[in-house]
Amino acid sequence: MAGSTIDHLVSVTVFLGAVLLFISLFNQTIQTAILYQRHRNLATKCSDLLDNILLNPGIPEDWGKKDITPIGFGLQDPEFTQYRLSPFSLMRLRSSIGEPVYYPGTGVYYSNITMGFGEYLLVSFTQILNYSTAAKLLGINNTYGFQLTISPIVTVSVKETHVGNPLTLTISVAGRGFPLSNAVVSYCFLKVVEKGSQNSPSYSSAFGIVYTDDTGVAVLNFEDVDATKSYALIVYAHLSGLVGVGYHQRVSADKRYVIPFIESFEDRRVILAHSYDVHYFGPPESAVFFNATFVLLTEDFTLREMPMENATGKIGKVNYGKGEKFEYAPLTIPTYNPGILVVTYQSNNEYGIILMPWGISSMAFPVTFGDDPFGKEWVATDIRQVIVNTIAYQAKLALWSLEGYQVIG
Amino acid sequence: MMRTIEIFLVIVIITAAFIISSFFAVLPLPRRVSPINLRRLALTTLQTLDVNYDLSETVFKSDGDPAWSELQIALSACLPPNMVYNLTVYDVLSGGTQLYRSLKSISNAESLGVASDASSYLVASSNVTFNVIPEKIGARGGGGTLYILNCSDANGWWITGYTAQSLAEDLNNLLSPYFQRTIMVQNTAQLGQILNGTALQGETLQSAVVINTFGEAVPIPSAYCTTPYSTDSYAYYCYFLGQRVRLYNWTWLSIVGYPLYYVSNTGLFLSDQNTWGIYGMKRVGRSEHWDGGQSGIHAFLQGLDNRPQYTYDRTSLIPSTGFIATLSLQVLECCNYYGIYPSPYQTSTRALKDSILSDYHLTIGLKIFDSVTVSGTTYNPGALYNHISKSGSLLALGLTRTPDIRLTAIGLLSYYKPRLYASEYTAAGTSRLVVLQLGLVGGI
Repeated sequence: MAGSTIDHLVSVTVFLGAVLLFISLFNQTIQTAILYQRHRNLATKCSDLLDNILLNPGIPEDWGKKDITPIGFGLQDPEFTQYRLSPFSLMRLRSSIGEPVYYPGTGVYYSNITMGFGEYLLVSFTQILNYSTAAKLLGINNTYGFQLTISPIVTVSVKETHVGNPLTLTISVAGRGFPLSNAVVSYCFLKVVEKGSQNSPSYSSAFGIVYTDDTGVAVLNFEDVDATKSYALIVYAHLSGLVGVGYHQRVSADKRYVIPFIESFEDRRVILAHSYDVHYFGPPESAVFFNATFVLLTEDFTLREMPMENATGKIGKVNYGKGEKFEYAPLTIPTYNPGILVVTYQSNNEYGIILMPWGISSMAFPVTFGDDPFGKEWVATDIRQVIVNTIAYQAKLALWSLEGYQVIG
Repeated sequence: MMRTIEIFLVIVIITAAFIISSFFAVLPLPRRVSPINLRRLALTTLQTLDVNYDLSETVFKSDGDPAWSELQIALSACLPPNMVYNLTVYDVLSGGTQLYRSLKSISNAESLGVASDASSYLVASSNVTFNVIPEKIGARGGGGTLYILNCSDANGWWITGYTAQSLAEDLNNLLSPYFQRTIMVQNTAQLGQILNGTALQGETLQSAVVINTFGEAVPIPSAYCTTPYSTDSYAYYCYFLGQRVRLYNWTWLSIVGYPLYYVSNTGLFLSDQNTWGIYGMKRVGRSEHWDGGQSGIHAFLQGLDNRPQYTYDRTSLIPSTGFIATLSLQVLECCNYYGIYPSPYQTSTRALKDSILSDYHLTIGLKIFDSVTVSGTTYNPGALYNHISKSGSLLALGLTRTPDIRLTAIGLLSYYKPRLYASEYTAAGTSRLVVLQLGLVGGI
């Protein structure tokens, strides 16, 4: 009798233990399968969301050229179909990479994409679309987080290999995984023409075409450009449908210069501010004389100057505001066609040149928009090749869930 | 003891079940769980390479052409380094059982890994001209004749900047492909001939379309410069015109302004002018009435309505102020179909009152512009009116000068809706199919 009781107790105990163990084992398998399903769903959502962003222009469809907050988010160029993006809608996205710049003259912060000295894109916070609004417009607020990166496929880098006269510049053209050999390189060389300490400088331009060698490199030589001269080089490289942009400049004045801020897309208004007003370099400094020009990229990859009226501030000067009274010069960009605002400047006989893209593609600026995916549990990504005003870009969307499930195994 | 043994047997069975289920429940590789959409990437890559039609040009080039190596460089450059590809170009065949023939293939690897996906892209040769053959108006019924008034012995009004002859030439270029016969009425004598029911070149007179290119003026043959046509300064002539439009089931087109406000014949009205310095024309209506010109359209509509008696009526049919008119949805859709794109917004100062529909027994066959209500009265800035007897129509564009003849053309085409037959897209040698297959290397 006692034996059968012990047998019963042992068997029940072992059975219960085994049941618990197997519940745990089966549960783990099922949980892993559910997670895989969720990750699969996330990847599908990522692909759909990327298409949704890239294949609709938003509401209203020309929101990129207006000073309004859209009621539907999309980046497609309304004048085209397929994967062609609006260079202006992209400009209105708040960059999540550059530190915002505060300009006391207007009292607002500016979204910042800076590629190097003199290559700025600063857009007023009153004009930009921020991440949380975009997430709401996409219907994924509090459900998914994302980061959208639009970066040029073709990288064109320019290096000074000989500083003195003649100036030698080496241009390297490469794609995502391969150098672009035998690519056609159209360039525009802008040299600052000095006009004295109380005058606005102008510039002279030279155009030409060279070809890259097997390693994707081309070399340019310019006579009469010694080490003290300021200049800018804008390069368009193209091969079999792929188009990329590069630029480089040298200045002799890197403390006192002008900084362009985009104030209004609808009015095409840009203001030029004294650099000391932005960077608080210290005691009052000299005025900066400037000469602004707008250039367009033509179909044959040359740059064509588009006249700016003097009344809109083509030539002028800006003073340092001494921390109290800020002075800036307003400009009106003459067109909605993408181009480059070229501003030559002079202060105390030191010269320089500033470039600002009007339309993100004209200088192939990259855009990073959204939250940081670093540290997120599971991030799905998808990519598309897109065109922004003839320039080849790659759009990458990183998407993650905010619903809090964990990755196991 | 037996129970313990039984329990262990149960454990063995459940363990076996777990192992077997785990064996069959194979979870996919991480790459398959969260894949890059290679199909979309391939499609967008092909679109990028063809943005300036470079791909379309390259695939039609011979095998040894350097453009192929440039295409391969561009393809390698625009894809990430961990991606392998195979691009194959097929010739599109027709007339046989085989649809595609492989022409050339370029690749950066021997195989495309364990998983790949592909997209196809059809390109057309830049040397091909695609032909569009329009259906002829009248081919499915009566009519099919287009008369364009090009009278050399008449002057126009409200066509400032143009001459009636230049407008006639442009209309001929725009509309003649859609009609069986296009006849330029070269002088007022020829106009008199067709008004008498005599064909000029053996064309079908019945159900023709007559475009008056003279704006607010209408040419008058010398044979009609007598009584009774001269009654009320030729308002009766307009009545007669309305009768003829009804008799021959014509569609009369007024391209701008107030229809039939003046009559013009440079040979007969040598010393008459329209009070604005244009000689060779007379304002319709009694001379004591400054606004007598408005009697022309009333008289025309009376004739169209087949009223037995002409009555002088100079009641205004237009609003006191102008407004912006918007192209109707139906016409906007036709703009895309026929490839004619006038501005959808136009200024109208001579829109006709909607009340003419009931007054003269008309129906609207097509609204070229949406109706606009001003001070409680509805006006039609541009419409094609049909008489309810189904005999005779009037197309009146009550816009301000100067005329845009594209509006006349699109209005007419939107009403008749002739079909466009495009030539076959996949004609032999004119199209190539490009297939880009992508695969990923590395990782699991």
